Amino acid sequence: MSGSILLSLGIGAMATLFSLPFAVLVAVPLARSRAPWATALQTLVWLPLVLPPAVTGYLLLWLLGPRRPLGSLLLRMGIPVAFDRLGAVVAAAVVGFPLLVMFLVLAIRSVDPRLSIVSRSCGRGPVATFLRVTLPLAWPGMLAGAVLAFARALGEFGATIVLAGLVPGRTDTIPLRIYDLLAQPGREGEITGLVVASVAIAVLCVVLAQALDRRHRRRLEVEP
Amino acid sequence: MILEVDADVGRRGGFRLRASLRADAGRLAIVGPSGSGKTTLLDVIAGIERGRVVLDGLDLSRLPLHRRSIGYVMQDAPLFPHLTVRGNLAYGPRAEGVEDVAARLGIAHLLDRMPRNLSGGERRRAVLARALASRPRLLLLDEPFAGLDEAARRDAMALLHGLGDIPTVLVSHSPAEVLGLAERAVRLERGEVVAEGPSASLLRAGETGIDNFLVARIVGASRVRAGSVELSVRLPEGASGAVRLAVYAHDLILAREAPRAISARNVFPAVVRDLTDAGGDVLATLLDPPLRALVTADAARDLALAPGARVIAILKSTSIACLGGA
Repeated sequence: MSGSILLSLGIGAMATLFSLPFAVLVAVPLARSRAPWATALQTLVWLPLVLPPAVTGYLLLWLLGPRRPLGSLLLRMGIPVAFDRLGAVVAAAVVGFPLLVMFLVLAIRSVDPRLSIVSRSCGRGPVATFLRVTLPLAWPGMLAGAVLAFARALGEFGATIVLAGLVPGRTDTIPLRIYDLLAQPGREGEITGLVVASVAIAVLCVVLAQALDRRHRRRLEVEP
Repeated sequence: MILEVDADVGRRGGFRLRASLRADAGRLAIVGPSGSGKTTLLDVIAGIERGRVVLDGLDLSRLPLHRRSIGYVMQDAPLFPHLTVRGNLAYGPRAEGVEDVAARLGIAHLLDRMPRNLSGGERRRAVLARALASRPRLLLLDEPFAGLDEAARRDAMALLHGLGDIPTVLVSHSPAEVLGLAERAVRLERGEVVAEGPSASLLRAGETGIDNFLVARIVGASRVRAGSVELSVRLPEGASGAVRLAVYAHDLILAREAPRAISARNVFPAVVRDLTDAGGDVLATLLDPPLRALVTADAARDLALAPGARVIAILKSTSIACLGGA
């Protein structure tokens, strides 16, 4: 039981850390631009949110399956994705991506856009402006979003079971393990343990996110 | 500075700025009613909106905002809330002389404070100081004194006068600011430039609240001559040559006979040129100097005001604002 919990935490953390840089790169233009290409990008980013997770999992399997070009290349390089731990990480990262981007966009948008203009009129370029103004003001909010996205990643089921399968000790995260145990009589005790652990982790994450969010708002506050 | 701008900016909601202007002035004001495109024009000059901008022969059009060296003090511009006042002033890569600039703007004692611990006026000064510390080649000020009380506004104007010769483009609703700070002005209406000229000639009665602007020659320690009339005024320090005077139409008193023993320092005979209706009241324009007086319809009847009527005009020295060099 504790194996599944640790596995879930590890996979969720890897998925969040793995997708965070990409999510930041996507969230920055989405937060500020209203150009047509931003709308197109937004559509692409939201797709995993509205697609059935099993479909997302199937598309990932089509891309990364052991007999597909990319999947077999990775396998030859000693990086198995499908039906292994990395597959669970990829599935959780892809399905959780829209949520993470949305949290980041909200955190960035809550920073007064005039500050960016002021920064640039002082002579700082767009990258320096992001690093010196937007990021220092938005990071607690961005981190709050990352914590919630991590909590959400722990529960990924549909895409994970398609891409990573149910390999005991390697891909049986909390939801997959519960699903597995349900088919076996007399394992209710273990299921209860997993449910209690899930609720505890979820509550912890929400409390942490709220604390970070409060800090975020305080930083943005100019009025005493 | 010689500033040339060609802009064609379309905004949501149908507003469009189509402005082309060329101005030669150390300080230029942009005037016009709300929604006429004044701020959008500043955005073009700053590089936030597209347009052709040439400053003293240097084409800035293709330079992005951060390479233009233009200090843009937006209306209600925010300070960086995560930096101290010092951090704000020293923010730009070209910022230097932070202590000097802070001292000149009277915020040297606030350098280590966070912006949330500043008053409105202090914040305004810090914002201006931040723009100045980066040594801009051009300063854009959008309603820089809006919301300040009268004393703070006077201080801030004196400060801007003390900045020396940084070319400045000023957007302001206040005629006192425009007259006091800018030699020339551009008038915008519905997104188009409708006039360019000396700032006094670009302000319109009614819109500004002040209804009389005169250029007067200084003839004594507190005496000026406007037309054929000598007036007693309070001259600003260091004024010489000529000054601009601003007088509210409702501060000018008309009488049939000269009063005796009166505190008002300026009592002079005048002739009524014409009368116009001003929303139930009457606006009487005098011939020389061309001052307008706002009186009630009852007063106009009692005085038998009519074009050509002879009256006595009474004006307190304290009702005349002297707005610096003309």
